Amino acid sequence: MSAADQSRAAPASSKAQITERRRSDLARQQRIWGWIFLSPWLIGFTIFTAVPIFVSLIFTFMEFSLSSDAAPRFIGLDNWIKLFNDPVAINALGVTFRFALIAVPVGIILPLAMAALLNSKHLVGKILWRPLYYLPYMVPAISSIFIWQAFLNGQTGWLNRVLRGIGIQEPPNWFQNESTILFAFLLMGVWGIGNSMLTMLATMQGVPTELYEAAEVDGAGAFTKFRSITLPMISPVIFYNLVLSVIGIMQYFVVPYVITRGTGNPNNSAYFFNMHLYKTSFTFFDMGYGSTQAWFIFIIALVLTVVLFGTSRRWVYYASGE
Amino acid sequence: MSRKPLFSVMMVLVLALVVGAVLPTAAQEKVTITWFVGLGTGTNSEQIAIQEQVVADFNASQSEIELVLNIAASNETSRDTLSTLLAAGTPPDIVGPVGVAGSNSFADQWADVQPLVDAAGFDLSVFDPALVELYRNADGTLGGLPFAVYPAVTYYNTDLFDEAGLEYPPAEFGAPYVLDGEEVPWNYDTVAEIAKILTVDANGNDATSPDFDPAAIEQFGVNFQWARIRLIWTNLQPSSYYDAATNTINVPDEWRAASQWYWDRIWVDNTAPNATYAASEVLQPSAFASGNLGISIVPLWYTCCLDSSVGNFNWNIAPVPASFDGEQNVAMDADTFRIVDASPNKDAAFVVLQYLVNDAAPTLATAYGAFPALPAAQDAWVESISTRYPLDINWSVAGASLAYANPGPLHHETNVPNYTQAYDREFSLLSLIESDSGATIDLNAEIDLFEADVQAIVGAPTE
Repeated sequence: MSAADQSRAAPASSKAQITERRRSDLARQQRIWGWIFLSPWLIGFTIFTAVPIFVSLIFTFMEFSLSSDAAPRFIGLDNWIKLFNDPVAINALGVTFRFALIAVPVGIILPLAMAALLNSKHLVGKILWRPLYYLPYMVPAISSIFIWQAFLNGQTGWLNRVLRGIGIQEPPNWFQNESTILFAFLLMGVWGIGNSMLTMLATMQGVPTELYEAAEVDGAGAFTKFRSITLPMISPVIFYNLVLSVIGIMQYFVVPYVITRGTGNPNNSAYFFNMHLYKTSFTFFDMGYGSTQAWFIFIIALVLTVVLFGTSRRWVYYASGE
Repeated sequence: MSRKPLFSVMMVLVLALVVGAVLPTAAQEKVTITWFVGLGTGTNSEQIAIQEQVVADFNASQSEIELVLNIAASNETSRDTLSTLLAAGTPPDIVGPVGVAGSNSFADQWADVQPLVDAAGFDLSVFDPALVELYRNADGTLGGLPFAVYPAVTYYNTDLFDEAGLEYPPAEFGAPYVLDGEEVPWNYDTVAEIAKILTVDANGNDATSPDFDPAAIEQFGVNFQWARIRLIWTNLQPSSYYDAATNTINVPDEWRAASQWYWDRIWVDNTAPNATYAASEVLQPSAFASGNLGISIVPLWYTCCLDSSVGNFNWNIAPVPASFDGEQNVAMDADTFRIVDASPNKDAAFVVLQYLVNDAAPTLATAYGAFPALPAAQDAWVESISTRYPLDINWSVAGASLAYANPGPLHHETNVPNYTQAYDREFSLLSLIESDSGATIDLNAEIDLFEADVQAIVGAPTE
C-alpha cells in the first residue's frame, strides 16, 4: 500500500470508528431509554408479583397466621408434610382431577365441533350463529352462575320442568346430588366455550383452500379432509386452548364456591382444591399452609404444562417448522 | 481565648435543642386514636358520611384526642385489611361496629375494658344489666360496652296468618297463643303445629292435608333465615358445646333435640324449606321477604332486607317462642366497638369508646340500622324504622327482648379455639341437614362426627 493510500485509509478508518462509536452511543441511549420506558412495569412486576411469589415460597416453611399476634416461626417442611396428610386437601385434589378429566376434553372437543359447524359452507345464517354462540362468553361470571343456579334448581328450575313435562317424574337435583353436581358445572362451562370456538374458527378460516381442493382431486371425503388437513393445520390453536384449559381447571374456583356457598357439598363432592386454598388462607388466615397449597397446585399445573409441551412435538404442526 | 463565646454558643445550642424537642411535643399534644370500620357494617357511602360527621363532632369537642377514621374498602375485604394492619404492627386503637363472631377471628387482639371502666368510673348501669353480661366473656373480662343489639324476634306474615285463619303470635313475652280457640304456650311445639297450616302446595293443600304434595310447595311455614346452626340451637334452648376449662366439645342433648326439631320440620313435616327450595324462585329474594313464608325466627338485623315487602305484603314481629325448658330466652347478635390490646393509648381510646356508645349512639345506630342498647336512644330508632316500614309494627318487642338476653357464655357465637374453622364445620353440618343428602342421614351419627371434628379443631382436651 502506498503512503497516499495509507493516508486515505487512515481518515476512512477513523471515520468508520467514529460512525461505529456513534452507533454504539445511540444503541446505549436506546437501551437506556428502553429500560426507562420498561421500568414502570418492571418495578410494578417486581414489587407486586415477583417479590410476593418469592415471599409466599418462604411462607411455605413457616407457621404464619394473620389473625394471631404470634410472630411467624420457621417450621421446615411441616406445612408440606401436613399437606400430604390432609384428607380434605387430598379429596379436594381428587375432585379437581375428576372434573379435569371430563371438563378438559369437553372444553376442546365441543368448541372444535362448533367451530367446524360454523365454518361449514352448508350452514345457513352464519352471521347470526357466530355471535349467538359467542354471546354467553360475554356474560359476567357471577351473573351467569346465578342464571344457571335458577335454571338448574331441582324444584323450580326450567330444565327440570321441561324434563317433568316430557315424562321424567324425578329429574336430578343437579346441585344437591353428588353424582350430578360436576356435570352441572360442566354444563355451565359450556357457556364459556365462545372464546375457544372463535380462535379455532378463525384458524380454520385461514387454512389454504388449495389443500382442500387438492384433497378433493385425490378423492378425499369430508371426514378425511377434516382429519388430515383441518386438524393438523389448526393443531397449534388446539394446543394453545388445551394448555389454557388445563391451567384454567387448576384455577377453578368461582363457580363451585358460589353455588355451594363455599362448602363444597354435597358431601365435599364439589370441594375443589382452590376452595381449600382460599379457605385456609383467607378464612382461617393460615398463610403458611395456604401458601404451601398455592405452590403445590402451581407445581402440578407447571408439570402438566411441561408434559403437554413435551407431547406437542408429536401432534402439533407448525407450518414454519418450529 | 476567652471561654465566654464558646460557652454562649453551647448555651444557644442547648437552648435550641430543648426548644426543638419541646415545640413538636406541644404541637403533637393531641393523642391520635384510629377508629377502624368495616368488620361489621359501616362501609357504605351514607354511613361513611355520618361517621365522618361523628368524628368531626368529637374532634371539635376535644383538646386532647384526635380521632381518625380508617374505613375498609368493603366488609368483604375488612378482615384482610385489619389482619394486615395488625401483622404490620400498625394496629388501629378501636375497631367497630363488630359482632361477636366477627370479633372471634381476632380473639386474642382485644383489650379487656373492665379495668378501663373501673379507672374511668364509667357507670354501666345506664345499660340493661343483661346486656352488659352479654358482652362479658367466660373468664370474666369485658369485651366491650353495649352499643347495638339485634334480639331474635318472630317475624310473621300477617297476610298469610289471615289467609289461614290463624291468630297472630302473642305481642308480649309470656302471653299464650290461641290455637283453635284454646290458649296454648307460645313455644316451638306450637310453632311446629301452625307451620303445618301455613305450608301450602300448588293445589292449595296445607301440610295437614293427606293430599299435600311436598314436591310442589309454594308457601312455607317456618325458617331461621340465614341462621348459623348454633343460633338455631340457641333459639330452641340456650346452652354451650364448649367447656373452656377442659377444652372439650360436647354437643348437649338439648341441642341434639333442637337439631331433630329442625330436621323434622324440613324432612318430616316439609314446613321448613330445604336447600333446594331455599334457592328456588319461590323464596326469592329471601324466604320471608318473598312473602311466601309464614314465620321466620331471626335476629332483628333481618329488618334490613325487607324493603321489598312494603306495598307487597304485611308483616309484624312478636317475641321468640319459649325455649324447650319453657323459659323465655332471647338469642341476640350484638355489635360493639373493641379496643385493640396493642393500642398504646387505651385510656384515650376508652374516652372515644364512651363517646361512641353514648353521645354518638343515636346517630350511629340509626345509620347502621341497629337497635341501640342505650335506652335513651331507642325511641329515635323506632321513629326512624317506623318511617321506613309504615306497617304498624310492634317494635316494643325489640326493647322488651333485651331483658331476656342470653348471657355471654351462652351466646350462640361464644368463642372457641380456632373459631373460624369451628364455624366452618358448623356451617357444613347445617348445609348437610338442609341439603338433599340430609333427608337420609343418621342425625345423631352426624352430630357425633361433628363433635369429633370440632374437638380436633379446638385441640386435645386438657384433662
